[in-house]
Amino acid sequence: MRRRTFVSAVGTGVLASLAGCTDDGAQTEAGDRRLVVGTYTAFLDAPSISPGEWVKTEFESEFDATLVWQSPPNELNHYIERRTSDVGIDADAYVGLTVDQLVRVDEALEEPLFAEAGDVTGADEIESGLDFDPEGRALPYDTGYISLVYDGTAVEAPETFEGLLESEYGEQLIAQNPGTSATGRAFLLHTIHRFGEDGYLEYWDRLQNNGVRVLGAWSDAYAAWQDGEAPMVVSYSTDQVFAEQDGADLEKHQVRFLNDQAYANPEGMAVFADADEPELTREFMSFLLRPEVQGELAQRNVSFPATESAELPAEYGELAKVPPEPVTFGYDRLQGSVEGWIDAWERQFGQQ
Amino acid sequence: MSLAPARWLERRAIAGLAVAVTALLVVVFYYPVGTVIVEAVGDERGPLAAFAALLRDPFYFGELARLVAGESPLAVGRDLLAGDRRLGVVGFTAYQALLSTVASVAIGLPAAYALARYEFPGRRTLRSLTLLPFVLPSIMVAVGFVAAFGEDGPVNAALGTVGLSIDLFTLEAIVVAHAFYNAPLVARVVTAAWESVDAGAVETARSLGASRSRAFLDVVAPQLLPAVAMGATLTFVFTFGTFPIVLALGGAEYTVLEERIFRLVQELAYAEAAALAVIELAISLGVLYLYLRIEARQAGGRTARPLPRRRLRPPELSVRALVPRVGLVAYGLVAAGLFLAPIASMLGASVTNAGGVTLEHYQFLLERQAEGAAFQAQPLPAIRNSLLFGAGALAVALPTGVVIAVLTTRSYRGRKLIDTVAMAPLAISGVVLGLGLLRGLVFGVEVGGTRLAVGGAAAIVAAHAVAGYPFVVRTVAPELETLDAQLAESARALGATRVRALLDVELPLVWPGVLAGAALALALSIGEFSATVVLATGADQFTMPVAIERFIGRRLGPATAMGVVLLAVTSASFLAIDRLGGDRGGL
Repeated sequence: MRRRTFVSAVGTGVLASLAGCTDDGAQTEAGDRRLVVGTYTAFLDAPSISPGEWVKTEFESEFDATLVWQSPPNELNHYIERRTSDVGIDADAYVGLTVDQLVRVDEALEEPLFAEAGDVTGADEIESGLDFDPEGRALPYDTGYISLVYDGTAVEAPETFEGLLESEYGEQLIAQNPGTSATGRAFLLHTIHRFGEDGYLEYWDRLQNNGVRVLGAWSDAYAAWQDGEAPMVVSYSTDQVFAEQDGADLEKHQVRFLNDQAYANPEGMAVFADADEPELTREFMSFLLRPEVQGELAQRNVSFPATESAELPAEYGELAKVPPEPVTFGYDRLQGSVEGWIDAWERQFGQQ
Repeated sequence: MSLAPARWLERRAIAGLAVAVTALLVVVFYYPVGTVIVEAVGDERGPLAAFAALLRDPFYFGELARLVAGESPLAVGRDLLAGDRRLGVVGFTAYQALLSTVASVAIGLPAAYALARYEFPGRRTLRSLTLLPFVLPSIMVAVGFVAAFGEDGPVNAALGTVGLSIDLFTLEAIVVAHAFYNAPLVARVVTAAWESVDAGAVETARSLGASRSRAFLDVVAPQLLPAVAMGATLTFVFTFGTFPIVLALGGAEYTVLEERIFRLVQELAYAEAAALAVIELAISLGVLYLYLRIEARQAGGRTARPLPRRRLRPPELSVRALVPRVGLVAYGLVAAGLFLAPIASMLGASVTNAGGVTLEHYQFLLERQAEGAAFQAQPLPAIRNSLLFGAGALAVALPTGVVIAVLTTRSYRGRKLIDTVAMAPLAISGVVLGLGLLRGLVFGVEVGGTRLAVGGAAAIVAAHAVAGYPFVVRTVAPELETLDAQLAESARALGATRVRALLDVELPLVWPGVLAGAALALALSIGEFSATVVLATGADQFTMPVAIERFIGRRLGPATAMGVVLLAVTSASFLAIDRLGGDRGGL
């Protein structure tokens, strides 16, 4: 018996593997037109922040089209890889584009991956400070702020970056690796914004001497913070929204904007240059910029709207904090620099 | 009449399987990996420029880089002996892997001793569940470790009273977490070797006047050594080529090779990433090659009659009966703290939120199952896929591993080299393999105007099988090698085909090794993540580890609940296999 399964299993295993197909047709049900949109996985799947399903339902109920979500494991790099491997882009749009990703795309590819957004109704409502693409391809649809979150029952967080260097805050802060985490990257960029590209490494040297913990992913850092490994963590300024859902004591989830600032991380959407449905994509982008959709999207993604006209309940702002002075680096500042900045940081911090 | 075709097949089974195995490896391993590795020589500065730059970079090679850069060996040697020498990323990666290996062997060996030599209630259950840590995603281990061993953790307080507390975010934490993953592996392969020790040989030695310890050193130890060396080698290779634990429980002070490769691939710096991956592969294969030299020199003597187990309850109150048993009980307490505490913390995290005890995380799983969209990960399909892919991968990995074991235990020149190359799936950078599978299989190749692409369930099974068969080779080959060659020859002289001799004579004699390899291959498949997400063509092909990863948002509760489901399903299947298979059938 045992030996029979040996042999027959090999046969089917090898043959069947050649028969695999690569289409995700399961999502197509209604409508003639099919809009394929790539995004990152949390946008679709994370229980806490996934507006994907709602967006699909709302969009399909109004447009005679099927919205097919794609969430490749390596996110935007998947499409860059498709382009360099010459297999064609099988999507119309990407949602969840950040400035540094756009910089990476442009450095990696000679031919444009994305087309200009063109005439998208509602695009003029986008707050000017959020626009991050000088070539007008990416349109921001929301933004988040990376700040300190601290346990107010254990510590009173410092007001400034310099304050973090004081001995009373030794071993009190958990941050994330800018190479492997978006929040870590935002915090690093904030220190560069604050101390300049000539000064940030020295600041980090002192921060390291003061015992900052830098873990790999936001989830690693937040879990350690929740377990009381340190009273301060680099996280999102919307922390109290999740805390309240969890029934937590909000005193233990305080937000601190160092120097009254926080680093803004706008997320954008763009239409692929060889989209099959460029017009439908623009309608989709316009849909996401509508005042009521903007408000709903921000609440479901636990972020902030990109347009001034967004309809958001007043109480949302009580838990989701906006910094007095948002700061961020635009495309031109990051282009040609961001990889070098992170590399230099990694070589200094991880030198052994 | 009808027997003739069957016999024809049987005669050619080994050769046929060898061809099929080679084809499988080329399609799902060598070609995909090749598409990435080739970038190392595709540098615009020249074919070896990427390597040269790395070797001269102190960030990677520490003080040794200065040697490559042309500095005097004397000066470099002096600095190497100094206290503040730089190891570089490569040196540190090897150093932490070495420490992790020592810790894993130290923690794994007493477990093997207890499992192979003592009888106690729950022994079989424990043996079946040995490999459980192997399937846990690193985020779960990190959550469990922080909760258990953190400053406020219950275990650290208890361990602290006996001076054993573990400081998180240190090299020590990295090493202990790596041992959490790999000590079970050491325990599993050494248990298998111990169970194959010939009781007759020990009895003969004793009857000839050898003391217990003499008999152990002369008869038992030589047969265990290769298994210990194998467990150590596999642990070294794994901990040399991984990074999530280092990032989660160490911190950015500790930079390891695979994390650099991950980062470079993410930044699309392929030439440097591929060159680093080649260096990583070369070091890992070098270590494997060294191990294979040891394996070839081991002593023989396998049997169907293993050593009898002793009762854990002491038969008498003598020093000789008490010392090992008291030691085992003490070890058991420490091991329970190390292995059960993180798992218990995970369980705890899955039923609590900030407000106290809750079932909302499990409720989320139920809701997702009931109402989830087609593009979302759902618990039941994930459970089904994990089990199906695991069974499929096992069904491919077992014959693949046995065939390669048979081919590499024949005598011919260069077979150790072939054996080493066959171990490449263990040693390759996971990041590079993932990228290679994307390029080589998902994107496919264009042949005569049509694009041949491979993806989906069958490809996932194939990839898992390729990742898992080296375990089967490593647990079966050394045992086959020590079998008395005359056994198979007699069978063949009596008219049995090669395959019949293998199945009827040889494999039953090395059965503990086959089972240990199968258990490792199955555990590897159930825990696999990166190849699965690359090859899955839709959420309906996600496995349990993928679902866990997808459920991480800004709250960890739902992911930990799925982690508990993973643990429960994996435990249940290991136990079921054990119950169905009898004492010699359980994995």
